[in-house]
Amino acid sequence: MNNRLRIYCTGVGGQGTLTATNLLAKTALMNGIPVVAGEVHGMAQRGGVVESVVLLGGWKAPKLAFGEADCMLAFEPLEALRGLPYLAKGGTIVASSDPLPPLSVSLGAKAYPSMQEISQTLNKYADKVYLLPIRTLGKENGSIQSGNTLLLAAACLLNILPFTVESLEKAIQTFLPEKLHASNLASIARAKTALKEQGFLS
Amino acid sequence: MSKHPLLSETEGEQQLLLGNEAIVRGALEAGVGMITCYPGTPSSEVVDTFRRIKAFDRYHMEYSINEKVAMEVACGAALSGSKSLVCMKHVGLNVAADPLFTTAYTGLPGGLVVLSADDPGCHSSQNEQDNRAYARMAHLLCLEPSSAEEACAMTKEAFFLARSLEQPVLLRTTTRISHMRGAVTLGQLPKAPTTVSFTKNPMRFVPLPAVARKRHQAVLDVLAKARIIAEHSVFTLETLHENVKIGIIASGVARAYMADALEQLGIADRVDCLELGITWPLPTERIIRFLSQHVAVLILEEGDALLERDIKALAKEHGLSTLLSGKNATLTEVLEYATPLVQTRIAEWLDLPQRPSAPDQALLSATQELPNRPPNLCPGCSHRAVYYAARKIFGDEVVYSSDIGCYTLGMLPPMRCADFLFCMGSSISGGSGFAKASGSKVVSFIGDSTFFHSGMTGLANAVFNKHSLLLVILDNGTTAMTGHQPNPGMVQESLGEACQHLDIEAIVKALGVTNVRTVNAYNLAALTKTFTELKDMDGVRVVIAKQPCVLYARRALGKRPPNVARVIAQNEDTQRCLAEFACPAFIKNGDEIAVDESLCSGCMVCLQVAPKSFKAVKRQGGQQ
Repeated sequence: MNNRLRIYCTGVGGQGTLTATNLLAKTALMNGIPVVAGEVHGMAQRGGVVESVVLLGGWKAPKLAFGEADCMLAFEPLEALRGLPYLAKGGTIVASSDPLPPLSVSLGAKAYPSMQEISQTLNKYADKVYLLPIRTLGKENGSIQSGNTLLLAAACLLNILPFTVESLEKAIQTFLPEKLHASNLASIARAKTALKEQGFLS
Repeated sequence: MSKHPLLSETEGEQQLLLGNEAIVRGALEAGVGMITCYPGTPSSEVVDTFRRIKAFDRYHMEYSINEKVAMEVACGAALSGSKSLVCMKHVGLNVAADPLFTTAYTGLPGGLVVLSADDPGCHSSQNEQDNRAYARMAHLLCLEPSSAEEACAMTKEAFFLARSLEQPVLLRTTTRISHMRGAVTLGQLPKAPTTVSFTKNPMRFVPLPAVARKRHQAVLDVLAKARIIAEHSVFTLETLHENVKIGIIASGVARAYMADALEQLGIADRVDCLELGITWPLPTERIIRFLSQHVAVLILEEGDALLERDIKALAKEHGLSTLLSGKNATLTEVLEYATPLVQTRIAEWLDLPQRPSAPDQALLSATQELPNRPPNLCPGCSHRAVYYAARKIFGDEVVYSSDIGCYTLGMLPPMRCADFLFCMGSSISGGSGFAKASGSKVVSFIGDSTFFHSGMTGLANAVFNKHSLLLVILDNGTTAMTGHQPNPGMVQESLGEACQHLDIEAIVKALGVTNVRTVNAYNLAALTKTFTELKDMDGVRVVIAKQPCVLYARRALGKRPPNVARVIAQNEDTQRCLAEFACPAFIKNGDEIAVDESLCSGCMVCLQVAPKSFKAVKRQGGQQ
């Protein structure tokens, strides 16, 4: 039971968070790792918060409560902050540094915290924090959404996820529509240099 | 076109499936021949999946107009000899309860499985009702999966039991099970559904009082047989250890929390478990034996304390002195369970020192201060325009009776167009009663799918009983909130050959409403003129505000206006438009207002709210 890993994923509706977490779960299963995942559908529509969980290594319950996640994959920086209570002590965060402001911010009623504040708070509560401009990089590789895959690949390269980048590539070729292969594979390839550029890998 | 993976004929293949997809696979393996539903979260993906995999050589399926109709169509199919599945969310079963209670008496030889997807925690529902109570009241067998694998296996078993006992079976999931993903090992897929033939027998199938009295005894006899099946079922799981005197009895998703909590506490080998997959009728002999073998037993079930009450009654009846525990201040009947909660409850029960650490309060309050992302009507949603016009004309002089759909979000400021709501269809009948008794003016809002669901009867009643209300039918041509499922209001070209479009205006007129206006929901002048004219009249008045759901128009109909709105003047009117119309595509930078052109749908309602502040410009980047 040593390979048990509880992952909390969060993002904004319409961003492709659920597709990415589903891909993560399928890759795990392909590698023979027991997996349960959970998501909440319904009123979380476009622009709302979308949360999902992936539990690897033999967990049964498809839900995480506060303080339970070993790792948080956040596809949006404000949502990384909001998801912070879910992280267990000593947890790791891989998150996007490309903000998607909520309506209250666009309408000037609320302020979006600065990336510096976000980074400080995340680092205060997490053991390790990796912030990457996934939407920017995804766009460079042909689709913003492929940035989500870049985040998954980064988590593989940082040895957070218990499978290789190669198996993630294989999962993309197996489970995603063919028209999405090129951008997603390019984003996986970009993950390593992105981590180096940010000083997370030497 | 390649076959959908859910139709794979490779026995033993493992797939990662959504709980609701696992139910689809289980039904296919069982040889389901008829599927009906009314969509509702968290049940919708079941029938949406049947629709997507298009294996129409195997089954008939339909989106019925409400749950009662869905139940009756499925009951008819099951009576005629087909294995039938009817799917709905928990509150839908209230609507469908009438046929269910009586078909439980007569029985259905083909086999009927009723999926009730309950929603503890109210993720997308108006209450947390626990539909296991229906199994007890209507005399139904009840199966409750705790994983995706079981969702598939139990669906198959439910059909086997429904067919062999000729008795409707309740398959009860909760949101976490319907929307979980887990590995499912595929079984054999039959070549074709197996049917039985119908033999006429009015003395069984026509429940006149004399027949019904006999059938009541018959259903109790069937349940007695089902109890014996439950005693020996593979879904009644016992985990026993040597010399262990404490045990847990659990059902549903609580079984998953229990397993993880015991693992976390490191006491999985020091506590015995009795896990119930068939939760009605109860395997009473197994329960009594388990109780008598243990000095203390904890009962874990999310929702109402149904098992707990039954098990306590059993213990009393059999004079057992086992110390029984269940719900308390830690595990209540309200909201969902979670692993740390169950862990805490077990630790309390066994007086163990380990407690999951409480979340950091400072962090929790800090996250509560963050800008939220509440659900909102989409940019370009025509409901926003109708509500804007309604608030302009009626203000706070009327009481707004709302209904169930995306448009319930009209409750939010600045629209504030919902003062009360009971259930599907209640906007009309609830509004009628409110207006009659109080003398208040009532404006009711209902969507097209909800109108077909149970608004038509309320409207007929309003005309018949000479009620006075103004009804606005928000006709966006689809069942938007649950994922654009078909309804009779959908345009014929989208419905295809399998369904017939029904005209709402013709129905309203046929129901005897003489004051009917149909307006374009994007036309503010037409809306305000119509509302002004109808405002002070008496009797039943109906406005049909038509405009396709903006997401549906874009995705399914391929329609997207070529222009977007752009702000051309910063003035009081622009500010008023932001404050009163509050489209999510508006952005405020300091005091300046702009339109996010990537979000703008091109509805151009803001140009009507503040004509001198906005203009239409060509959309950059062309069609998406």
